[in-house]
Amino acid sequence: MNGTQQLLAHSLDANEQTLRDYFTKTPDLVYCHLLIGEPKKRALLVYLNTLVDKNSINNNVISPLLFETRQINTIADIQLPIGAKSYATIWEHVIQRVFQGETALFLDGDDHVLLLDTQGWPQRAIAEPQIESSLKGSHQGFIETYEKNIALIRRYLPHQQLKVETTTVGRRGHTSVALLYLEDVTHPEVLQELKDRIEQVDVDTIVNTGELMQHIEDNPFSPFPQFLLTERPDAAVSNLLQGRIVIVVDHSPSVMIGPMTFITFFQTVDDYSTRWMIASFLRLLRLLAFFMAIFLPSAYIAALSFHYEIIPLNLLLTIGESRERVPLPPLLEAVLMELAIEMLREAGLRLPAPIGQTVGIVGGVVIGQAAVQAGIVSNIMVVIVSLTAIASFIIPNPDMSESIRLLRFPMMIAASLFGLVGMVIGFMLIIGHLISLESLGTPEGSPFAPARLRDWKDTILRFPLWMMRTRPLSARPTQLTRQKKFRK
Amino acid sequence: MKRYEFNEITIMQYIFLISGAQIGIGILSLPAQLADIANTDGWIAIIIGWLISIIASTIIIKTMAKHPQDTIFDLSRRYFGRIFGTLIHLAFVAYALLASMTVVFTAIHITQVWILPNTPNYLIMILFMLPGFLITRNGVRVLARYAEFVFYLTLWMPILIAIPLQKGTILYMLPILKEGWAPIFQAVKTTVLSFLGFELAFVFYPFLKEKKHAIKAMVIANSISAFTFLLITVTCFIFFSPDETPSLIWPTLSLLKTIEFSFIERFEVIFLSFYLFVMSTTGIPYIFTTVFGVSQLFGKKDHTIVLIIAVCAFILTSFLYTPSFSHIQTMGSWWERYGLWGAYIFPIFLFIYVSMAQWFQGGKKK
Repeated sequence: MNGTQQLLAHSLDANEQTLRDYFTKTPDLVYCHLLIGEPKKRALLVYLNTLVDKNSINNNVISPLLFETRQINTIADIQLPIGAKSYATIWEHVIQRVFQGETALFLDGDDHVLLLDTQGWPQRAIAEPQIESSLKGSHQGFIETYEKNIALIRRYLPHQQLKVETTTVGRRGHTSVALLYLEDVTHPEVLQELKDRIEQVDVDTIVNTGELMQHIEDNPFSPFPQFLLTERPDAAVSNLLQGRIVIVVDHSPSVMIGPMTFITFFQTVDDYSTRWMIASFLRLLRLLAFFMAIFLPSAYIAALSFHYEIIPLNLLLTIGESRERVPLPPLLEAVLMELAIEMLREAGLRLPAPIGQTVGIVGGVVIGQAAVQAGIVSNIMVVIVSLTAIASFIIPNPDMSESIRLLRFPMMIAASLFGLVGMVIGFMLIIGHLISLESLGTPEGSPFAPARLRDWKDTILRFPLWMMRTRPLSARPTQLTRQKKFRK
Repeated sequence: MKRYEFNEITIMQYIFLISGAQIGIGILSLPAQLADIANTDGWIAIIIGWLISIIASTIIIKTMAKHPQDTIFDLSRRYFGRIFGTLIHLAFVAYALLASMTVVFTAIHITQVWILPNTPNYLIMILFMLPGFLITRNGVRVLARYAEFVFYLTLWMPILIAIPLQKGTILYMLPILKEGWAPIFQAVKTTVLSFLGFELAFVFYPFLKEKKHAIKAMVIANSISAFTFLLITVTCFIFFSPDETPSLIWPTLSLLKTIEFSFIERFEVIFLSFYLFVMSTTGIPYIFTTVFGVSQLFGKKDHTIVLIIAVCAFILTSFLYTPSFSHIQTMGSWWERYGLWGAYIFPIFLFIYVSMAQWFQGGKKK
């Protein structure tokens, strides 16, 4: 068939032929011929067997059609117990809808086709999020169907200002993408920027949200994430209320949120349901972990190769003793161990659970006493590598945690070349990069640089909830007040 | 016409940009110079220098406020015509270049003396130019954000410097005015120059968003610097005594040598590495001014190409030329001599000239 913009024919046989020409080698496409109404009129039901809910078709479509006793002249006369239905006259629409699991009903002598929402495909039940587990928050995680994901968000915000805009991305996949935002809070410019960027994406299809994220992010050469990926509806809602935009991509269990700031990657929704002192402590802990994960191995290298004079004598003797048998220079020793632990992590991630335990045991032996006894690495190095690994696990956002793990290596090289000066210059470069980084045109370094003191209440510390009366300025909300002062 | 709208900076950023440019390398040797000239009364000179620099910066702001969208480069072209305007333009660029050279080479020298004695200076130069390039390339806005961030990041440093105060002898501060006012006024010349950095208002003023607070901002910026200078000078005097301070080349760093923890020794190594942040907020604005000035001279909006050339030139210079300590001191004294003219005398002259020119033009209209 050339050109799917063609209109349908009046004749049922012609329409069926067109369909059969188009859907070759599609064994799951069902053609169901029916005679309906009094007097009998020929009709054709077409659906993809694999994408529909068969119960719904049998009970709600075929059964009422078979027992139809009224006279059917046009397609509009057909009444069926299905809520979502539409009409189409162009082949392109028909074919696209059939591919999305809808059922097409053709009637002889009518060039309109009735499209019925009978979708039903294999999908996972809503389960606890795997990557971001929570202690106190909701235990529902997003799944692979985007209608369900939108439903999960709407359950939190039954409000008319929560707007949903849908579009499709990809020439082949026609992946549905939905933008959710609070219309009276989100800045229109930010929203428009996001829409423009999504519109420009021209790919086969989007398999996962992460792909779309890379297509639309501000700086593809940055090691840092500029959008938040989450699989928790409560996280999505919390960000919506801060004036951010949630992007739900079909068949992907994680939603994307933007514009983000750097510090938000160190926060979780659980922070808000914990009492503020504890939440603040946890945030400080994460910030400490950030610095440890980046700088601890390089500090070790710098101290040993350049500035051993800053280590007190007793400690220096201990280190010297434990490094006595180690033939490797500090950089090589550190890189070796860091690479080993990265490999362990990656191995544990991909292996099925029963074998995964083995990795843990074997790894524990390798990066442990055995390596020290064999004289490959020093005791101190083992301690440092373990601390670094634990520190990188504390970062709640997996994307940020990965960026930090990556940054550790150039930092180690800088430390081995220039000692502390190299580390400081590396830190300067990170800062210089972060403050010029933008997420959807808003500065990622906010609220520190540019400083917005009002936003500091929800950054390193988490102030008591009743003090957080305004939304963060970084997302440029049009409505700043979040709550009134109701507590003295 | 708002030429620099995209690059607007907030009042806070402006304050930290200026005070960041003021606090840098001068502070490391300031106590020694003051103790040398005025002995116990050196700190009074800082207060006088502070007042003078506030007056000078007010004059600069008053001049710039007449054409709020103009940098000094636009202004000189506007009032002095093509030839003289370009000359002033070039003079200012040369001044900024000298300043940035001095800062960078001093930073390298100090790094070599205190932290990395065996690393060749061109390697350190390459290392320093990396963040310099990254931050300068992105323009005033990122520069200002950087200054702001570094300010918060280095807030702990003055507290640390104040630790030796406990062990000091407050009697070293006495007697006040023991040799009268003459040595103090001599020392003012030194302190006035350590306030250099406010003249960058000539370049950064048009980028400021809330211009009506500009004078207040200059006062705050100068006060932050004055407070830091005072803190360090007084700490040095109390700790080392004004008689001993001149014998140290960098008394501020020697001060840190005495700080010791049970888990870290030679704390000044760590402190000095971190102090590179403070020095970077001095050097980078001057590098930016140089690069910005040159690209304005050629009428280019984007300064990336000039920046690349400048960075290459810096690195090349460090390959060919390793300044000794006396060279660096000479460079510093050139900067100071030049700065005295550029930051204190030239603004007064410019203010009078611009006011007169406006007065005459206003007269013509009537």
